[in-house]
Amino acid sequence: MALRAALLRHVRIPAQTLNPALTLTGGKWGPPSLRWMSSHDDHLSKSEVTERVLSVVKSFPKVDPSTVTSDVHFQKDLGLDSLDNVEIVMALEEEFKLEIPDKEADKIDSTNLAIEYIYNHPMAG
Amino acid sequence: MSIAAGAPSRAEVLTLFRSFLRVARKFTDYNIREYTKRRTIDAFRQNRNLTDPSAISAAFSDGKAQFEVANRQAVVYSLYAPKLKSVMEVHK
Repeated sequence: MALRAALLRHVRIPAQTLNPALTLTGGKWGPPSLRWMSSHDDHLSKSEVTERVLSVVKSFPKVDPSTVTSDVHFQKDLGLDSLDNVEIVMALEEEFKLEIPDKEADKIDSTNLAIEYIYNHPMAG
Repeated sequence: MSIAAGAPSRAEVLTLFRSFLRVARKFTDYNIREYTKRRTIDAFRQNRNLTDPSAISAAFSDGKAQFEVANRQAVVYSLYAPKLKSVMEVHK
Protein backbone atom coordinates (compact mmCIF):
# COMPACT_ATOMS: atom_id res chain seq x y z
CA MET A 1 0.00 0.00 0.00
CA ALA A 2 2.80 2.34 0.89
CA LEU A 3 4.44 1.60 -2.44
CA ARG A 4 1.18 2.31 -4.29
CA ALA A 5 0.69 5.61 -2.51
CA ALA A 6 4.30 6.60 -3.26
CA LEU A 7 3.86 5.72 -6.89
CA LEU A 8 0.60 7.59 -7.22
CA ARG A 9 2.18 10.67 -5.71
CA HIS A 10 4.79 10.74 -8.45
CA VAL A 11 2.95 9.59 -11.53
CA ARG A 12 1.33 12.44 -13.39
CA ILE A 13 -0.87 12.15 -16.41
CA PRO A 14 -1.04 15.36 -18.40
CA ALA A 15 -4.51 16.79 -18.65
CA GLN A 16 -5.80 16.53 -22.22
CA THR A 17 -8.28 18.80 -23.86
CA LEU A 18 -10.75 17.10 -26.14
CA ASN A 19 -10.32 17.53 -29.82
CA PRO A 20 -12.63 20.47 -30.59
CA ALA A 21 -14.08 18.62 -33.58
CA LEU A 22 -15.37 15.91 -31.26
CA THR A 23 -17.11 18.04 -28.67
CA LEU A 24 -20.84 17.94 -28.79
CA THR A 25 -21.36 21.62 -29.33
CA GLY A 26 -19.60 23.62 -31.96
CA GLY A 27 -16.93 22.09 -34.15
CA LYS A 28 -18.05 20.48 -37.37
CA TRP A 29 -21.67 20.40 -36.31
CA GLY A 30 -22.08 24.06 -36.95
CA PRO A 31 -22.77 26.94 -34.61
CA PRO A 32 -22.46 26.25 -30.86
CA SER A 33 -26.17 26.86 -30.29
CA LEU A 34 -27.01 23.69 -32.25
CA ARG A 35 -27.22 20.82 -29.80
CA TRP A 36 -26.11 17.41 -30.96
CA MET A 37 -29.00 15.11 -31.90
CA SER A 38 -31.46 17.93 -31.44
CA SER A 39 -34.03 17.70 -34.17
CA HIS A 40 -35.54 21.10 -33.62
CA ASP A 41 -33.16 23.17 -35.62
CA ASP A 42 -32.43 21.07 -38.66
CA HIS A 43 -35.54 21.78 -40.66
CA LEU A 44 -35.68 20.33 -44.14
CA SER A 45 -34.77 22.81 -46.80
CA LYS A 46 -37.30 23.64 -49.44
CA SER A 47 -35.16 22.28 -52.24
CA GLU A 48 -34.71 18.98 -50.43
CA VAL A 49 -38.46 18.67 -49.83
CA THR A 50 -39.15 19.49 -53.48
CA GLU A 51 -36.63 16.96 -54.71
CA ARG A 52 -37.94 14.15 -52.52
CA VAL A 53 -41.60 14.88 -53.25
CA LEU A 54 -40.91 14.85 -56.97
CA SER A 55 -38.99 11.60 -56.77
CA VAL A 56 -41.89 9.95 -54.90
CA VAL A 57 -44.38 11.15 -57.53
CA LYS A 58 -42.10 10.12 -60.38
CA SER A 59 -41.70 6.62 -59.00
CA PHE A 60 -45.46 6.12 -58.97
CA PRO A 61 -46.07 3.40 -61.57
CA LYS A 62 -48.72 5.20 -63.62
CA VAL A 63 -46.85 8.48 -63.87
CA ASP A 64 -44.62 9.40 -66.79
CA PRO A 65 -41.58 10.81 -64.93
CA SER A 66 -40.81 13.36 -67.64
CA THR A 67 -44.12 15.17 -67.05
CA VAL A 68 -43.57 15.74 -63.33
CA THR A 69 -42.63 19.26 -62.26
CA SER A 70 -43.00 21.09 -58.97
CA ASP A 71 -46.33 22.47 -60.11
CA VAL A 72 -48.48 19.67 -61.50
CA HIS A 73 -51.99 18.73 -60.46
CA PHE A 74 -52.20 14.98 -59.83
CA GLN A 75 -55.58 14.45 -61.44
CA LYS A 76 -55.71 17.22 -64.04
CA ASP A 77 -52.13 17.07 -65.32
CA LEU A 78 -50.99 13.53 -64.62
CA GLY A 79 -54.22 11.75 -65.53
CA LEU A 80 -54.57 10.05 -62.16
CA ASP A 81 -57.81 9.36 -60.31
CA SER A 82 -58.82 9.98 -56.71
CA LEU A 83 -57.62 6.53 -55.61
CA ASP A 84 -54.16 7.26 -57.04
CA ASN A 85 -54.24 10.58 -55.25
CA VAL A 86 -54.75 8.82 -51.91
CA GLU A 87 -51.96 6.38 -52.74
CA ILE A 88 -49.52 9.18 -53.53
CA VAL A 89 -50.27 11.02 -50.30
CA MET A 90 -49.75 7.77 -48.38
CA ALA A 91 -46.42 7.26 -50.17
CA LEU A 92 -45.41 10.80 -49.19
CA GLU A 93 -46.31 10.04 -45.56
CA GLU A 94 -43.96 7.08 -45.67
CA GLU A 95 -41.17 9.02 -47.33
CA PHE A 96 -41.25 11.84 -44.77
CA LYS A 97 -42.32 9.68 -41.80
CA LEU A 98 -45.44 11.72 -41.26
CA GLU A 99 -49.01 11.01 -40.33
CA ILE A 100 -51.17 13.41 -42.30
CA PRO A 101 -54.73 13.69 -40.94
CA ASP A 102 -57.49 12.74 -43.41
CA LYS A 103 -58.79 16.30 -43.64
CA GLU A 104 -55.41 17.63 -44.69
CA ALA A 105 -54.65 14.65 -46.91
CA ASP A 106 -57.83 15.26 -48.91
CA LYS A 107 -56.66 18.75 -49.77
CA ILE A 108 -53.28 17.68 -51.15
CA ASP A 109 -53.97 17.26 -54.86
CA SER A 110 -50.87 18.73 -56.51
CA THR A 111 -47.10 18.59 -56.06
CA ASN A 112 -47.13 22.26 -55.14
CA LEU A 113 -49.52 21.75 -52.20
CA ALA A 114 -47.66 18.63 -51.10
CA ILE A 115 -44.36 20.52 -51.00
CA GLU A 116 -45.91 23.42 -49.07
CA TYR A 117 -47.56 21.13 -46.55
CA ILE A 118 -44.48 19.01 -45.91
CA TYR A 119 -42.14 21.99 -45.81
CA ASN A 120 -44.30 23.63 -43.14
CA HIS A 121 -44.71 20.44 -41.13
CA PRO A 122 -42.51 20.51 -38.01
CA MET A 123 -42.04 16.73 -37.87
CA ALA A 124 -41.12 16.09 -41.49
CA GLY A 125 -37.92 14.11 -41.62
CA MET B 1 -75.78 -5.83 -44.80
CA SER B 2 -77.59 -2.54 -44.92
CA ILE B 3 -78.42 -2.13 -48.57
CA ALA B 4 -81.34 0.08 -47.57
CA ALA B 5 -78.94 2.80 -46.46
CA GLY B 6 -78.11 5.20 -49.30
CA ALA B 7 -75.02 4.78 -51.43
CA PRO B 8 -71.87 6.04 -49.69
CA SER B 9 -70.44 9.34 -50.81
CA ARG B 10 -67.17 9.62 -52.70
CA ALA B 11 -65.46 11.01 -49.61
CA GLU B 12 -66.62 8.07 -47.48
CA VAL B 13 -65.22 5.60 -50.00
CA LEU B 14 -61.88 7.41 -50.12
CA THR B 15 -61.76 7.50 -46.33
CA LEU B 16 -62.33 3.73 -46.23
CA PHE B 17 -59.59 3.29 -48.84
CA ARG B 18 -57.17 5.37 -46.79
CA SER B 19 -58.09 3.52 -43.59
CA PHE B 20 -57.34 0.23 -45.33
CA LEU B 21 -53.93 1.44 -46.44
CA ARG B 22 -53.22 2.65 -42.92
CA VAL B 23 -54.13 -0.66 -41.31
CA ALA B 24 -52.09 -2.50 -43.96
CA ARG B 25 -48.99 -0.68 -42.72
CA LYS B 26 -49.47 -2.04 -39.21
CA PHE B 27 -48.80 -5.66 -40.12
CA THR B 28 -45.44 -6.73 -38.81
CA ASP B 29 -44.97 -9.44 -41.43
CA TYR B 30 -43.71 -8.08 -44.74
CA ASN B 31 -45.72 -10.51 -46.86
CA ILE B 32 -49.02 -9.80 -45.14
CA ARG B 33 -48.34 -6.07 -45.16
CA GLU B 34 -47.73 -6.02 -48.88
CA TYR B 35 -50.60 -8.39 -49.59
CA THR B 36 -53.10 -6.28 -47.67
CA LYS B 37 -52.00 -3.16 -49.51
CA ARG B 38 -52.10 -4.86 -52.89
CA ARG B 39 -55.48 -6.46 -52.23
CA THR B 40 -56.94 -3.14 -51.08
CA ILE B 41 -55.82 -1.31 -54.19
CA ASP B 42 -57.01 -4.09 -56.48
CA ALA B 43 -60.43 -4.32 -54.86
CA PHE B 44 -61.13 -0.59 -54.93
CA ARG B 45 -59.98 -0.43 -58.51
CA GLN B 46 -62.13 -3.37 -59.49
CA ASN B 47 -65.24 -1.68 -58.11
CA ARG B 48 -64.35 1.75 -59.43
CA ASN B 49 -66.93 1.80 -62.20
CA LEU B 50 -69.93 0.62 -60.18
CA THR B 51 -72.93 2.84 -60.88
CA ASP B 52 -75.87 0.96 -59.40
CA PRO B 53 -76.45 2.49 -55.93
CA SER B 54 -77.37 -0.84 -54.34
CA ALA B 55 -74.24 -2.47 -55.78
CA ILE B 56 -72.17 0.41 -54.43
CA SER B 57 -73.74 0.06 -50.98
CA ALA B 58 -73.18 -3.68 -51.01
CA ALA B 59 -69.52 -3.27 -51.98
CA PHE B 60 -69.08 -0.56 -49.37
CA SER B 61 -70.55 -2.58 -46.51
CA ASP B 62 -68.54 -5.59 -47.62
CA GLY B 63 -65.46 -3.36 -47.52
CA LYS B 64 -66.31 -2.17 -44.03
CA ALA B 65 -66.68 -5.75 -42.84
CA GLN B 66 -63.33 -6.64 -44.39
CA PHE B 67 -61.81 -3.59 -42.75
CA GLU B 68 -62.88 -4.87 -39.33
CA VAL B 69 -61.27 -8.20 -40.15
CA ALA B 70 -58.03 -6.50 -41.19
CA ASN B 71 -58.01 -4.46 -37.99
CA ARG B 72 -58.46 -7.54 -35.83
CA GLN B 73 -55.85 -9.49 -37.74
CA ALA B 74 -53.32 -6.68 -37.42
CA VAL B 75 -53.63 -7.06 -33.64
CA VAL B 76 -53.39 -10.85 -33.77
CA TYR B 77 -50.37 -10.78 -36.08
CA SER B 78 -48.63 -8.24 -33.86
CA LEU B 79 -48.67 -10.86 -31.09
CA TYR B 80 -46.84 -13.31 -33.34
CA ALA B 81 -44.42 -10.98 -35.06
CA PRO B 82 -41.75 -12.74 -37.14
CA LYS B 83 -38.39 -12.81 -35.38
CA LEU B 84 -36.49 -12.09 -38.57
CA LYS B 85 -37.14 -9.49 -41.20
CA SER B 86 -37.99 -10.61 -44.67
CA VAL B 87 -35.08 -10.42 -47.09
CA MET B 88 -37.22 -7.97 -49.08
CA GLU B 89 -37.03 -5.31 -46.39
CA VAL B 90 -33.44 -5.75 -45.28
CA HIS B 91 -31.82 -3.41 -47.78
CA LYS B 92 -34.28 -0.57 -47.46
